[in-house]
Amino acid sequence: MSPRIGIVSLAHMHAYGYLTALTRSTSATFVGITDPDGGRAQKAATDHGTRFFENPADLLAQNLDGVIITSENANHRRDLELCVAAGVKNILCEKPIAATIHDAQAMLDLCARSEVNLATAFPCRYSPAFIRLREQVASGVLGQILAIRGTNRGSMPGGWFVDTELSGGGAVIDHTVHVADLNRYLLGSEATEVYAEIGNGFYHQSWEDTGFLNISYSNGVFATLDTSWSRPKTYPTWGDVTMQVVGTGGCADFDMTAQFLLQYDDAANRVHQLGWGSDLDAGMIADFLTLCRGEKPISLATGFDGLMALRVAAAAYESAKAGQPITL
Amino acid sequence: MPYRVALIGAGGMGRIHLRCWSAIPDVDVVAIIAEPIESAQSLIKQTGIVGARAYQSFDAALHDCNPDIVDICSPTATHADYVVQAAAAGKALFVEKPLGRTLVDCDRAVAAVEQAGVPAMAGHVVRYFPAYAQAKRSVDAGAVGIPATVRVSRVCRHPGKWYGDHALSGGALLDLSIHDFDWLLWTFGQVDHVYARSVSQPPAGVLPLDYALVTLRFKSGVIGHLTGSWAHSAGFRTTFEIAGDTGLIDHDSARTSTLSVQLQKPTTPNVPATLQKESPLAPADDPYFQELKSFVDSLKNGENPPVTLQEAHNAVRVALAAIESAKSGKVIHI
Repeated sequence: MSPRIGIVSLAHMHAYGYLTALTRSTSATFVGITDPDGGRAQKAATDHGTRFFENPADLLAQNLDGVIITSENANHRRDLELCVAAGVKNILCEKPIAATIHDAQAMLDLCARSEVNLATAFPCRYSPAFIRLREQVASGVLGQILAIRGTNRGSMPGGWFVDTELSGGGAVIDHTVHVADLNRYLLGSEATEVYAEIGNGFYHQSWEDTGFLNISYSNGVFATLDTSWSRPKTYPTWGDVTMQVVGTGGCADFDMTAQFLLQYDDAANRVHQLGWGSDLDAGMIADFLTLCRGEKPISLATGFDGLMALRVAAAAYESAKAGQPITL
Repeated sequence: MPYRVALIGAGGMGRIHLRCWSAIPDVDVVAIIAEPIESAQSLIKQTGIVGARAYQSFDAALHDCNPDIVDICSPTATHADYVVQAAAAGKALFVEKPLGRTLVDCDRAVAAVEQAGVPAMAGHVVRYFPAYAQAKRSVDAGAVGIPATVRVSRVCRHPGKWYGDHALSGGALLDLSIHDFDWLLWTFGQVDHVYARSVSQPPAGVLPLDYALVTLRFKSGVIGHLTGSWAHSAGFRTTFEIAGDTGLIDHDSARTSTLSVQLQKPTTPNVPATLQKESPLAPADDPYFQELKSFVDSLKNGENPPVTLQEAHNAVRVALAAIESAKSGKVIHI
């Protein structure tokens, strides 16, 4: 069976990675795209050999096995409700799962009631280096894990990402969830406390561009996470995902995007990193297709995983406001 | 007349200082004080230094040798007593970092120096490491615009010995990270509050380690992050990154090797041939030499020494606040 897949909205730039993965996949039928911006959606559909549906209902009427939602954070719930109402049984939702805990919980409840499989797009789980790290932790060579120092720094994305009505916040909601999920997936342990310093020193706007989080886990591990949009315009790449994992038996440093060429580009007056690592989206989409076939995915994050990651971001905002650690 | 130096401590730092003192014109090391005295004697013998005598007692050395400068390179918890004694004797003094193990000790040291009116400098040598000095100059010159975030990291293997006893050394957060705390204060000004977590295993265990992560908020609004680790068995590495509203500066000692050597045959029998990496500087740029020379220059010119004991006190204060936060789980305001 080749699952029939549709994409709802191209608002999040990650959609383009999923489009490519779907186009390349030999085990998916890429039915089409719907998006309020007809121009960009028509072009994307043409580029990827699929159809553009102006009316979301028309796409959702195509007997789809799965839908990928890549709309603005605050629109995830609305789009999910449309999909569920149309009878879609497998949904992969872009991260963060929602702009608020309230919305995320409502989405989970609806999916549970309607027997819909909800997955969260956490492609970093499919990084071959992270998979190796997880194997090493599981094998015990690092001993008992004590601490994790994480970064998920990036460039300021602009657009709706800084319209907090649509995004739910700035750098913290955008960049907390990836590493919060990796930590949780690596440790098999839940966050119990969050302390955060939040700032706007890069762009001096009402939304935060800086987030330095401390996260404690139920197994005693402590972690820090830098979620800042701190990469300048001239930085050679978009950002990073790193984890320094310290155990009683040793330390491991994971640098997800370290596989790159350096390009010195006179035309752009810039230096670029040209990444050549494995395509993480391809791994995640393949796992989602597994789910759509009614089989058990390997490491696809669930809606609950998405909610747990979002809780850390929400607690970070609360902590920064209170100036104190927040117990989850 | 050359400055007469009495050096207290014949450990790792005493050894480095002795080498630097020998390279500074107009300086003679006349006494090395260490317990047991054999370690001072063997250091004198090994280095073939002429004119220096070994002592176990600082009193005796003060009495016999009439030094102009007392250089305190002993374990941290003994610093304050030596500072008080040297200041009372009217000596110029140089004291290794951290200034003291406790704030009470640091208060005593600062007060003694103020009261005696003697020149005194603290050994915050990282200010003389070229990458750190350059970064400070560049930040001051606006190279990143207005700084928003700063991350510093200093990792190495556990040093063992007395360092593993937190009551004596303060652990990695005080002994190791004091370098970064001082550089942060020097570059970004006063700290408003800190939050920290740390973990350690005592050196009595099979695998001793000490690892700490500190989040700092400066009065300027800058947000900082510090890593201090005695858990990295592969050796010493420092990194920093300063990001501001118009740019970013970063440093990683792991990419500064100007010379890498790998040999076909091991130089020592039964020791595997490994990759040797170096990042050498011209002798005159050696940070420890620079640091001690700048102290002597300040004495010669009758100027204030470049790193005051009050600044060293401030760094200890932030480090101890981080330790307190790690212990209590609370945000500590400075």
